[in-house]
Amino acid sequence: MTASGRRPLLRLTGAAAIAALTLTGCAGTGSADDAGASGDGPVETLTFWSNHPGESKEVETELLEAFEAETGIEVNLVTAGKSYEEVAQKFNAALSGGELPDVVVASDVTWFNFALTDAITPMDELWEAGDVDSEGYVDSLREDYAFEGEHYALPYARSTPLFYYNKAMWSAAGLPDRGPATWDEWAEWAPKLAAANAGIAPMVLPDGSNYLDWYFQGMVWTFGGSYSDEWDMTFTSDETIEAGTFLQDQYRQEHIAVSNDANNQFGAGQAAALMQSTGSLKGLTSAAQFDIGTAFLPGPPPGCPTGGAGLAIPERISDERKEAALQLIEFLTSTDNTVTFSQATGYMPVQKDAVDHPDMKPFLDSNPNFRTALEQLDVTSSQDYARVLLPGGGARIGAGLDRITIGGEDVAKVFGELDEESRTVYERDIEPKL
Amino acid sequence: MATDLVAGARTGPAPAPLPRPPARRRERRGRGLLVAGAFLVPNLVLLGVFTYRPLIDNVRLSFTDWNISSPTATYIGFDNYVEWFTSSASHAVLWNTVVFTAAAVVGSMALGLALALLLDRRLFGRDAVRSLVFAPFVVAGAAVGVAFQFVFDPTFGLVQDLLGRIGVESPAFYQDPDWALFMVTVTYIWKNLGYTFVIYLAALQGRRADLDEAAEIDAASTWTRFRKVTWPQLRPATFFLLITVLLNSFQVFDIIDTMTRGGPLGNGTTTMVYQVYQETFVNQRAGFGATVATVMFLILLVVTLVQVRVMERGQQR
Repeated sequence: MTASGRRPLLRLTGAAAIAALTLTGCAGTGSADDAGASGDGPVETLTFWSNHPGESKEVETELLEAFEAETGIEVNLVTAGKSYEEVAQKFNAALSGGELPDVVVASDVTWFNFALTDAITPMDELWEAGDVDSEGYVDSLREDYAFEGEHYALPYARSTPLFYYNKAMWSAAGLPDRGPATWDEWAEWAPKLAAANAGIAPMVLPDGSNYLDWYFQGMVWTFGGSYSDEWDMTFTSDETIEAGTFLQDQYRQEHIAVSNDANNQFGAGQAAALMQSTGSLKGLTSAAQFDIGTAFLPGPPPGCPTGGAGLAIPERISDERKEAALQLIEFLTSTDNTVTFSQATGYMPVQKDAVDHPDMKPFLDSNPNFRTALEQLDVTSSQDYARVLLPGGGARIGAGLDRITIGGEDVAKVFGELDEESRTVYERDIEPKL
Repeated sequence: MATDLVAGARTGPAPAPLPRPPARRRERRGRGLLVAGAFLVPNLVLLGVFTYRPLIDNVRLSFTDWNISSPTATYIGFDNYVEWFTSSASHAVLWNTVVFTAAAVVGSMALGLALALLLDRRLFGRDAVRSLVFAPFVVAGAAVGVAFQFVFDPTFGLVQDLLGRIGVESPAFYQDPDWALFMVTVTYIWKNLGYTFVIYLAALQGRRADLDEAAEIDAASTWTRFRKVTWPQLRPATFFLLITVLLNSFQVFDIIDTMTRGGPLGNGTTTMVYQVYQETFVNQRAGFGATVATVMFLILLVVTLVQVRVMERGQQR
């Protein structure tokens, strides 16, 4: 080949190599398959992938040391990401041929896809074999992981949204020291808060990129609407549109602000109220320079969804490892340990009898705001499929809510598009696999 | 080429046999090939395994419906490509990518050159300023993103404070898609300014001083000296920067992820790389994500080829 003939080829190869550098992160399919295989004898070590929700690395380490002392099984605690999404990404990578963990943190929006693709194991048979008291778990939290009669995780770091308010601003507006019982009552209170506290937003909510779809879930329910009824999309029901219109009106009247950093706005005294996760309770209380009150989300109930994460076991590990993994999960979520975890992080205890635990009463007496969060558990409900089970559901709904608030678009039009998009995703990505 | 020689041999008169090269020369050529192979093969193997294999694998996956958690993928032909090219969301993402990349390339190169020209002189504290300009480049993008969230915060941020001093209200950086794209672009330029600055500074320091002196003796103005003497000598550096900055800008992820997560209003700051992430890991559609990555690769391939061609023509002139 002549030099002039080689040059175009070299140019193309070089350019392709340069451009291909953009793709080197995209890998292929594969599998880490050890499903149901027998191991080499008793399990001596386990691997636990966590993002340490609620800055829980320290308490997780303590609990794992206690597990080792009790069972003789050593647990390797791996930081698999800083968020639930990052843990899910790492787990996906491991499914494509890497080394799988024995226990993995799975959030309310990530577990279902793993269940659908048989990446995590159904636990009901394991519970029976391992004599686990599944009825001891808070019903709504346990049932969050149920699908077609099977449960794919056990609750671990569980949270709910909570209504936070600035007591000084409440007092300045002459309001009683409690949260609004209904959204109608909120609509009456908001102008009073704005009038008494110049330049502040009566309430601030995280925007659509920061889970507005989760906070709005409860509001929709109180209007009698929903995102979906199981797999039937209900964005265009009169009640759902009414809820969307209410949110839009509150935004337009400047009763509710939407922010990328709602915690900071509330914590700096720029907003009188905030809807935020119970997981933020500790941080907000310690950072704010004013008295914070907490209340149930406005009703009528159920006006509050559950959230947070559970613990799952990969399907493609040996039966012996699955049994040992369940033993670890049972230990981490036992009444004693869920109380310890809860007090260290602000997440909800996941066992029904945790509220009667001897360590709980003094803790609740000195942390009355945590008591509110705990008592609200009784009126929570599992989220709609369109948000938590449909791939990309939260982000899709969040973007739609941004459009009706920040963008000021017509609610019926946006919700109509959400309905159609969600149905398309269901028919394309879910229905064929059911 | 080879085929023509053979054809010529069939139809024309038989060529005279070439004299055999002397044994020593053959031996030297053989040794040369061996040395070239020793240097080239390891690199070619690495290039094949870590660059071309993922590329081929990615193209293959782009024709499949693959849930990233599933061990199996279903072949669906060009469906993903049809969906991407006909989706209005993809058009918005492509537009965001073009605007962001163009602004990032032009902005960081122009500012980098300006700073390099300024700091190529003998100024007090020059070395300290050079270090300060370069420092952001070595800071992690996610850290820069978090820091600039506060800089642009419309309630507490530095920008709103500065604008407030002259009676101007802060734009809604996190709620208006245009301002959001402006915000992430400025942040990216700030972070990468050190890179273009260092390359330009090195090029300036390596230029021929005698040409500058000659131009000065000829009483050429500063602008004429820059345009006629300095700039032509900066062409290789400019070409190098054009390719590398463009490739890096195309791949920006961390700043967008930390500052806006691709929003507001859904895809206000979503670029193609961010769409790859969202489709693959959020929507679980790794096949569709691979399609977006392949389209991105083809765009970059064309752009790079055009750049190489333009550069070659420039050198020939």
